Amino acid sequence: MANISVFLCKCFGEIDNTINFDFLREELSKDPSVVLISIVDSLCLETDIEKTVSQIRESNSDKVLIAACSTLSRGNLVIESLIKEGVERHKIGLVDIREGCAWIHGDNPEDASKKAKDLINMGIAALQHKDMSDDMSVTVHPNALIIGAGPAGLAAAMSLARTGFKVNLLERSKVPGGMLKLISRCYPDNDDASNKLGPYLREVENNPLITFYPQSKITSVEGDTGNFTVHFSFQEKDSFIQAGVIIVATGAKIFFPTGLYGYGEIKNVINQMEFERQSLNGSLETKKPVFIQCVGARNRERPYCSTICCPISLKNASRIAEDIPGASVFILHRGIMTPGNTLEKYYRDTLSSGVQFIRFEEEQPPRIIGSDYVEAVEVYDAITGITRKIETDLVVLSTPLVPNNDNVQLAEMLDIEVDRYGFFSEIYPMHPLETKTDGIFICGSARWPVSSDHSILQGKAAAMKAVSYLRQSKIAASTLSRVPGLKSGHARVVPESCTGCGNCVAACPFDACHIEKLEGRYISIVNMMKCKACGSCVSVCPNGTMQIPEHNYRMVGEMIKMAF
Amino acid sequence: MTGFEHIQKTGRDAVLVVGGGVAGITASLDLADAGQSVHLVESSSYLGGQVSKLDKLYPTDHCAFCPLWTDVKKCMEHPLITVHTLSHVKELNKENGNYSAVILRGPHYIDEKKCIFCGRCEKECPAAAIHPDWEHLYPPSFVIDETLCTKCGNCTKICPSGAIDMDLKEEEISLPVSDVIWATGFKEANINHLKEYGSGTHPDIMTSMEFEEWTSEAGTNRGTIIKRSDGAIPANIAFIQCAGARDLRMIPSCSAVCCMHAFKQAEWVKRRDKRIDCSIFYTDLRTVGRDYYRYSLRDFEDANIKLVRGRPGLIHPLPSGNGIAVQFENTITQKREIRKFDIVILNGNIQPSLIQLRPAQPGSMAVPRTDKEGFVIEESGETSDFACGFGLEPADVADSVIQASAAAMRIMNKASDQR
Repeated sequence: MANISVFLCKCFGEIDNTINFDFLREELSKDPSVVLISIVDSLCLETDIEKTVSQIRESNSDKVLIAACSTLSRGNLVIESLIKEGVERHKIGLVDIREGCAWIHGDNPEDASKKAKDLINMGIAALQHKDMSDDMSVTVHPNALIIGAGPAGLAAAMSLARTGFKVNLLERSKVPGGMLKLISRCYPDNDDASNKLGPYLREVENNPLITFYPQSKITSVEGDTGNFTVHFSFQEKDSFIQAGVIIVATGAKIFFPTGLYGYGEIKNVINQMEFERQSLNGSLETKKPVFIQCVGARNRERPYCSTICCPISLKNASRIAEDIPGASVFILHRGIMTPGNTLEKYYRDTLSSGVQFIRFEEEQPPRIIGSDYVEAVEVYDAITGITRKIETDLVVLSTPLVPNNDNVQLAEMLDIEVDRYGFFSEIYPMHPLETKTDGIFICGSARWPVSSDHSILQGKAAAMKAVSYLRQSKIAASTLSRVPGLKSGHARVVPESCTGCGNCVAACPFDACHIEKLEGRYISIVNMMKCKACGSCVSVCPNGTMQIPEHNYRMVGEMIKMAF
Repeated sequence: MTGFEHIQKTGRDAVLVVGGGVAGITASLDLADAGQSVHLVESSSYLGGQVSKLDKLYPTDHCAFCPLWTDVKKCMEHPLITVHTLSHVKELNKENGNYSAVILRGPHYIDEKKCIFCGRCEKECPAAAIHPDWEHLYPPSFVIDETLCTKCGNCTKICPSGAIDMDLKEEEISLPVSDVIWATGFKEANINHLKEYGSGTHPDIMTSMEFEEWTSEAGTNRGTIIKRSDGAIPANIAFIQCAGARDLRMIPSCSAVCCMHAFKQAEWVKRRDKRIDCSIFYTDLRTVGRDYYRYSLRDFEDANIKLVRGRPGLIHPLPSGNGIAVQFENTITQKREIRKFDIVILNGNIQPSLIQLRPAQPGSMAVPRTDKEGFVIEESGETSDFACGFGLEPADVADSVIQASAAAMRIMNKASDQR
């Protein structure tokens, strides 16, 4: 049994007004492990901290229990000032006898004192049996691996390389540029896509810190935060890279609406990508185009808005309305999705360029008239309640972006998540580029359909997030937490008693547990770099082999004994 | 030499981040984590901005509190971040490619380092000028409302920890800065002059941020939905979208967040009290993010929230004072109707806070170049003005945070170019 010194904080009368400190002193002195009971005015005062520290040094105590306010109030600050004075963190316990006791039981001082006694005894039990987690650290490879050389990946690569980090840029196709290579102009600035792409392509070519791997495909990923080993085929040869962080910027693909509105059967029914190609190579000839929005999107099958199709139609429609004299341009839509300031202005500008908008409802989609050549589109205008027939020479279908086929496979390799549609997903919207594996980031349309400008923005943002990992020479598992110092350890297995049942593997939301064969039998291994100490594994372990040392069974059991 | 090594070696001047909402916090943390020192200036008494007033976040319906609290705590404790609350940037001088800033730091009458949150001052104050600061503040503290305070000194006498000093004065802090990130966020605009919305004519006609405060779990009514006029449970609620926004008389832009905000509020009204009928009056339902459209589908299919396309032509309190008449045309069915609602929530009247600051106090506050609508125009050069969050472009939490990190990255790149 460790010797414990207990410090009772009066908190300027906030606590001892209700709780009888003499009673506490009397009760606590019955415990043989308590070697010192000291009552202080307030541990917020520097003088009291000094007094406390010298008392701790003089007494022969091993551990310290503070009975004061909660960690969310000033308790943590008290602990921190003790640490500053040289007391080790794991030797300090804190019990809240203010908010959770004195304040809420102010009307019943006698019971409040008894409760305070129980709480302190629980704190003592906790200190006696608390264990410490192991820690591990990895040496960080100060270079990044970026998967995908579209606008997002290129922006991330350029940002990181210009900050001074080595970048490995993997791309499935032969050349960098992604979808931007296929389109003519970008919204909302109507800049040529090649202008937008230019600086990035030059950077890839000229910056010695960027290594570009065209025609490559990832085959497997090993290792942890700061130290990933990625195996991939590069121009059909196997290769590997060690990288500190991974940025996923694989983009998305276009949905081909085969069978919808005669697409694939009728010559003058095309999708937006074909429209872009025709305007790039100059073969586009239309005076009366009709754009139909939400083709294959916002329906049962794909219940999402693909974000970019409305502005793309605005861009292409206004271009024809402005460039071709006498053109009549229609956009048939289910609500124009132009949130924000810039896009709303873009929408207003398109309205004034002469493009006409007709709103239809999902239940009454437009109808194509003509069997091998569309001559007109019939649509029920939901706003006026009139069915209109629009003559046309080209029907352009706005289709959503859909996730790449191998997203799920890649997500499994990287231990990150995909959403219900197949796009890579973050674990929390307030940290939108971070995944459940620290050091792996997602950006661009691989995450969710976004414009080229936004992809570039996200690429830069993901690079920024990567910098905080890359600049460290070593990363300790215990620091992989949103708030440093608040991570409560890692799960620990006792190899002797582990039966290798695998419950923990199924329960772990962070893929931190796996089963390995060791000395002829299967046991669970915890990867501390991934463990977030949530305790899911502890609750499903059938024989108590899996424990979080800071909250182990013995400790919790002893605490419960003290409470009742 | 990498960019951050350059920053550390040269002791590059601090970056000034103006605004302590999610965007400002994220930009500060990203820069500080990369070794760049930051001064974060916030006008209110706490960090967290508008998100701290939100009950739940769409589309996951998680509380906003935890992730915000952890980031605020990290910000407060980061050795490279100096936080100035109750402060604003008074002057920003650009000379020979160098910025120097003068920060006006308002008096912190209650020292949050000393306040033990006992509440004796609040009880003792005769003018009711003392109230707890944002309740998730770390560490918790009280704050004195200067407009109500009579400087009687009762609080100073009663405070056991000597945390209150009413003699403190405003403090001017001058420092050289390398770049500025404007993360000034949004404010609600007053739309009382748009008569058809009836704003300000009846206590049950609220703006959506007022409604959030009124009904949130940490707010006035601890998560119960009642009318502000008589405390009764409302039979129905109307959410009016684009009130003041997408309106050339007032705010031409789309505020980007209000559609989902209304869905979220309607959903939580239904979760808390199924009997309350909710109708959303919309123009376009802009649900562009991950799961946003699904969220809206779930709302009007599972939770039975009604959708009406059209902006009401008139919202007016009934003569009895009990209930509000809403006159509208459903533009999908082309039907004109007048319906009685118990609560009307006006949604959309948010605009960049800079537009409200500018005319009020000329000369007393440094502001960046903005366009007509108050959005920051970024300027890049030797000393740069970057922006992120709603002050740059209407954005929800996720977008603001992305913009913030991207702004931080651009500063890192600039620092590298300077080496």
